[in-house]
Amino acid sequence: MLELKGLTKSFGGLRAVTDLSFTVEKGAIVGLIGPNGSGKTTVFNLVAGFLPPSAGQVLLEGKNLVGLKPYAITRKGVARTFQTVKPFRQLSVMENVTLAAFLRFPMRRHAEAEASRILEKVGLKGKIKLPANDLTLVDQKRLEIARALATGPKLLLLDEPMGGLNATEVDLAAHLINDICADGVTIIWVEHVLRAIMNTSHRVIVINYGAKVADGTPREVVENPDVIAAYLGKRAKPHAAD
Amino acid sequence: MKLILVAVALAALVAAPWIVTDPFYVHLMIMVLMWTVLGASWNVVGGFAGQVSFGHSAFLGTGAYTTMILYLNMGIAPWYGIVLGGLVAAVIALPIGLICFRLRGPYFALSTLAVAEIIRLVALNWESLTNGPVGLLITTLPPVTLAGTALDWESKTPFYYIIAVLAVGALVATSLLARSRLGAYLLAVRDDIDSAEAIGINTVQVRVLALALSAFLAGVGGGFYAMYLRYIDPDAVFSIPLSVEMVFIPVVGGLTTVMGPFIGAVFLVSLGETFRTHFLTGHLIFYGLFMMVAIRYMPEGIWGRLRLMVANRWGVRNA
Repeated sequence: MLELKGLTKSFGGLRAVTDLSFTVEKGAIVGLIGPNGSGKTTVFNLVAGFLPPSAGQVLLEGKNLVGLKPYAITRKGVARTFQTVKPFRQLSVMENVTLAAFLRFPMRRHAEAEASRILEKVGLKGKIKLPANDLTLVDQKRLEIARALATGPKLLLLDEPMGGLNATEVDLAAHLINDICADGVTIIWVEHVLRAIMNTSHRVIVINYGAKVADGTPREVVENPDVIAAYLGKRAKPHAAD
Repeated sequence: MKLILVAVALAALVAAPWIVTDPFYVHLMIMVLMWTVLGASWNVVGGFAGQVSFGHSAFLGTGAYTTMILYLNMGIAPWYGIVLGGLVAAVIALPIGLICFRLRGPYFALSTLAVAEIIRLVALNWESLTNGPVGLLITTLPPVTLAGTALDWESKTPFYYIIAVLAVGALVATSLLARSRLGAYLLAVRDDIDSAEAIGINTVQVRVLALALSAFLAGVGGGFYAMYLRYIDPDAVFSIPLSVEMVFIPVVGGLTTVMGPFIGAVFLVSLGETFRTHFLTGHLIFYGLFMMVAIRYMPEGIWGRLRLMVANRWGVRNA
């Protein structure tokens, strides 16, 4: 349902993403991993329209998204979360999600009903009246997902939904991601918590220096020598000094 | 409860000129209400949408000049001119918004300053239309008879009722905005533009709409300014101090609240006049000090603080 073709992004002389191509099938959970600064978030920004690519195409169900503004891409069914959470800080949890639900439910009453349903799903039902700013980081991460879901996406881009969470919270989040997938939402997921991504993803794509290093099932990927090199550095060759 | 308060406030508004007859105080009330309209204007864009504009005199001045020119050149009565002035200001706001809202934060604020300066220079130099630096003057207002008696334009009472209607209209518009989807979207834009985009809000469009609504109110306020003071020139109506005053009123009164601009206008206009009469020199120093204290200790504004206090007390009682 999503296809990246030769996607490239340069910032001045720096190539953050280089000729990146991959496809994501409908209903999949795809993990996107790579070392710090490898261009994962840039890929999300390119797909969601927050940055214009220098070259290449992003096709959603065959239609090019390049050149559309972020709001237009959301309206086509691509929702995203932010790595550093960006709630509407002064607004209540309920209002945060209701605003997103307005996209499909113009009547406030209906939008609030939808927001309640989603907030229950992500486990924030008891906190709907709090200002988003008063939530803990875990809950702000949940709110970020709830808000993205309220737009009714076909494709959900999760940018490190587990960053900063403890082991129990990670398990809960993994459960939630499986749930969302079961509702028919395709998920691309950037993460540093490798255990979670290996257990939950159907497929894993590894990028380094903005280029694809590996693409396969979690098992294939962890055994790929290029991936090990990307994360740990190359194995020192014996007698390399000679 | 709320309805009763509103009814009492409206009754007080209608009765005020019978109770207060000293022309100076009637003038003061007119100024308070005019600044309520102008403060409500800035509140839409600076409060709800969170986009700080330092150039709102551009819209005030556009409204003032439209009202004046339509009356002097085409004989269109100022009460129509005031509304048309608002519309012209709103139309001018559209391209300004489309250009300036590409910028964020301080860059947007600076661009509004620049736009206001450009418009001032246009008004100063387009002499065939605006009479340039000499300004425009209304000598007589068209006669109006209401219920058999001719309105006396030399008294202040008719002006009081005109601006009272406009001020109530501005506050009702704010209240409707606060309840609308557009209003909710503006608060989202205020809190985080990226997140607003990410949930499908066309943030440029909603900010431009907010600016147009804001400009309409400022233009209406400017149209009234022209009709009431009967003389305008570019340096008077396109001035930076006017723009800044439009910022202070809703900030001191309470941003994003409906009544904030009114409360801010009551305090700042009456304080300004009091300082002016008691300290002939240096009254602006006291005015500035008051402003600093208000913003430092009540960042949510006078009305915002009152609402918080009421909400807290109510919350404690129910806990």
